[in-house]
Amino acid sequence: MKSRKLVPWIALAVVVTVGIVVLVVRSRPDNSPAARARRLEHQLACPVCEGQSIADSNAPQSRAIRDDIPRRIAAGQSDAEIRAYYVSRYTERILETPSNSGLGIVAWGLPAVAVILGSASIVIAVRRWSRTPRLAATDADEGIVRRARDDVGGENEDGR
Amino acid sequence: MQFPVRWVALAAAALLVVFGVVLAVQTRSEPSVPRLVLEHAPVPSFSLKNLEGKPVTSAGLRNKTFVVNFFNSWCIPCRQETPALKEFYAEHKSEADFAMIGIIIDDDASTVRGYVKEQGITWPVAVDPSGSASLDFGTTGQPETYVFSPDGVAVCGRLGASSQAVLDAWLRGARNGQECT
Repeated sequence: MKSRKLVPWIALAVVVTVGIVVLVVRSRPDNSPAARARRLEHQLACPVCEGQSIADSNAPQSRAIRDDIPRRIAAGQSDAEIRAYYVSRYTERILETPSNSGLGIVAWGLPAVAVILGSASIVIAVRRWSRTPRLAATDADEGIVRRARDDVGGENEDGR
Repeated sequence: MQFPVRWVALAAAALLVVFGVVLAVQTRSEPSVPRLVLEHAPVPSFSLKNLEGKPVTSAGLRNKTFVVNFFNSWCIPCRQETPALKEFYAEHKSEADFAMIGIIIDDDASTVRGYVKEQGITWPVAVDPSGSASLDFGTTGQPETYVFSPDGVAVCGRLGASSQAVLDAWLRGARNGQECT
């Protein structure tokens, strides 16, 4: 009997474990040279155009970078080293994601601040609402309810 | 204690406004002065070949005041700049400490051969088929011209067509260790 009670919990544990394993396996990045090149092309911005990544841009510099990335990967450079090379040539503007220094901190931090402030506001608002006392019924209110009940009771008796 | 929820909301709104203003004033403008010149960086090492297949290297320019001009045949400002470059090169080519090279970006050698002949370009022209020299310089377009001092430091340059007067002034500045204007 006791073991039957455990069955749903075991099933839940199995489902959660399988879900976590699938998530971990699927979120592991593909590190083949072609996949790394594609990823870097999307992480770098076209240095001479607005709002386009290297992958999307057809500017000569973007095409040169697209050709250059596989050469650097073949030469054994890491993704960080490749990004650092382009930053050294075109400054941090070439990075599609904000850096973790300077103005970049604001870009990373603002969503977190907004979530914290929003959550705090909801918690505070709920606590305030729950603290608001319920209105107590006055004698007049009770009288209205009593009269209404009497009226309904009388109508039922007449109709019987 | 009554917690001022409206102040929290106001603070969040103020933060958003400040962030928006900061983003708005961070306009992305393309500098016409290349990064190498702004940073007074050393000439990037390059090893290219000219149109005849002979090597053109940064090492071969050591101890000279030299001009590097990135260009190609399809770029209209490059065509417009060529007469000034020709005058400039004719004026200085006999000076022992002077050198000038053109580096082709995003173009093919056969087209450039015809273009060089048609335009009467007589200074050495190197081909950069992989674009590696262009990336090492951090070029942002063409024409892009650099003037290096004899110690190999980028002292003057710009993106866009340059006049002969500007090129002369840059060369004087590079020789005299002056900032470019």
